[in-house]
Amino acid sequence: MIDPPTPRRRGTLTPYLFLLPGLALFAAFRLYPLLDGLRLSFTNARLGRAQYAFVGLGNYQKLLEDTRFHVSLVNTAFYAVASTLPILAIPLVLAIALDRGVALRTFLRGAFFFPFTLSVVTVGLAWLWLLDPVVGPFNYYLKALGLPARSWLADPSTAMWAIIMTSVWWVTGYYLVIYLAGLQDIPRELYEAAALDGASGWRSFWSVTVPLLRPVFLFVFVTHIIGSFQIFGQVFILTQGGPGDATRTVVQHLYETAFQNFFQFGSASAMAWVLFAVILVFSLLQFRLLRGHTQY
Amino acid sequence: MPSRRPLLTVVMIACAVFWLLPAVWVLVTSLKPSANIIRLPPEWIPRPATLAHYHEVLFSSSRTARMGRAFLNSAVVSVGCVVLVVLTSALTAYPLARMRFRGRDVIFALLVGSLMIPNAVVLVPQYILTQQLGWLSTYQGMIVPEAAMTFAFGVFLLRQFFLTLPTELEDAALIDGAGPWHIFTRIVLPLSQPVLGALGIFAFRSAWNDFLWPLIAVNKPEMFPLPVALALLRSAYSSESYGPIMAGATLSALPLLVVFLVANRRIVEGVRVSGLKG
Repeated sequence: MIDPPTPRRRGTLTPYLFLLPGLALFAAFRLYPLLDGLRLSFTNARLGRAQYAFVGLGNYQKLLEDTRFHVSLVNTAFYAVASTLPILAIPLVLAIALDRGVALRTFLRGAFFFPFTLSVVTVGLAWLWLLDPVVGPFNYYLKALGLPARSWLADPSTAMWAIIMTSVWWVTGYYLVIYLAGLQDIPRELYEAAALDGASGWRSFWSVTVPLLRPVFLFVFVTHIIGSFQIFGQVFILTQGGPGDATRTVVQHLYETAFQNFFQFGSASAMAWVLFAVILVFSLLQFRLLRGHTQY
Repeated sequence: MPSRRPLLTVVMIACAVFWLLPAVWVLVTSLKPSANIIRLPPEWIPRPATLAHYHEVLFSSSRTARMGRAFLNSAVVSVGCVVLVVLTSALTAYPLARMRFRGRDVIFALLVGSLMIPNAVVLVPQYILTQQLGWLSTYQGMIVPEAAMTFAFGVFLLRQFFLTLPTELEDAALIDGAGPWHIFTRIVLPLSQPVLGALGIFAFRSAWNDFLWPLIAVNKPEMFPLPVALALLRSAYSSESYGPIMAGATLSALPLLVVFLVANRRIVEGVRVSGLKG
């Protein structure tokens, strides 16, 4: 971080008066809930229960035995890993194509970005309809192409892949913009030099583009993993965690534990902190990346 | 710059059209009479086209009469959130960029560190707090926590921008005896309009599209914002009634589509500059 320039005022209340509204908002609705969540995770708090007791690590111990929580952790990790390759590759291919002197560039970029302006509910409903097993167009065109049609969302072996497809459609435009920014930062002279040395397009892609995009790849990867561990809306709309528990995710399990079935605020808070610990590892990685790349 | 490539352009246009097909399908479905919606092969041009589903979703059926209200709720919450985020972020970012005082670096580090807090992690305690304040199913119960989610990002973005502003104008005003408030409102804010706009759009998009927080913080149907109302619209209908659902989905996409068409460049630049948060 660059240090701010020389001070204008000193020794007055002025800076604190400026800070007051924002910091009050921040302290009450971010900092306090974070710490209160940690405290709750050591209690047996429930919705509507006025008195509750400290149970030590009881909630965390229960999580070790909660097979549905394990399933949801595994599902979430599967979603994160399985979607990584398409999320790294599809926006990259599109960005490279758009970076190669295509006409209508702004319009095309906008077209790919558009789904990202939709809410997860709208996206989920659109794909629910597209994937409708009986009257949805997706199965109709698969059959027309001679490919097997099936109930993608009702089949445990395909449901998570359908959710991944939905997510890829939703966020590709966002990563496309990030990639385009990274590509524009690569000096053109490097490509010209590579061409002078007789490098083919493929060769200069591997020798110039890929190495210079490395920080962008890392950024996309880490951002995607952090987002993936919080996936909720797609699952809520498309499968409700089913069939069985095939697409149950951590946040969905947390949501149901706290607000649908048992209103167990204590164990839900413990889940939240386990989730936080997992995400924190990737967040710290991202933080280090950002410090090295202040232009983002 | 390399020359325009017609072949690649055509391929990319085809890809973009293909990419937009799901969205087009939503729009097309919303304009078809119910009987035509489930017809196979899929019809990509609604003939005849009708606004009946929009009429139903906005005005008639009791199951869906709340979509119009949901639209209003989302508008109030999103605008409120934009105002609150831009105001508090600008006020906080200015001294962090321009003044020297005790605790400045600690406060900034705390704010940047808080960007790592996933929203799902504070869900339960935030619900308890909102309940204790008596704010469940209210506008402030959606606006204030929503604004708090975006606030730290706003401070980060605006501080970075304030640091790039030349100090000469502020120095001149200081010599003329202007106070910090005057300098902030008359010089710094007007110079920052583009970045304030980018932050405003970002905050609007986050608030307009957020689903998880209003899903738990609102339990009165007349207070549902659009994403929640839409999600529940789905269960109100049998699976064949895609018409009204798609009309609702299209309506909910409209405001951001308009913002997006008007400020395409700015949104994309905003995402690029921010990069930090989806």
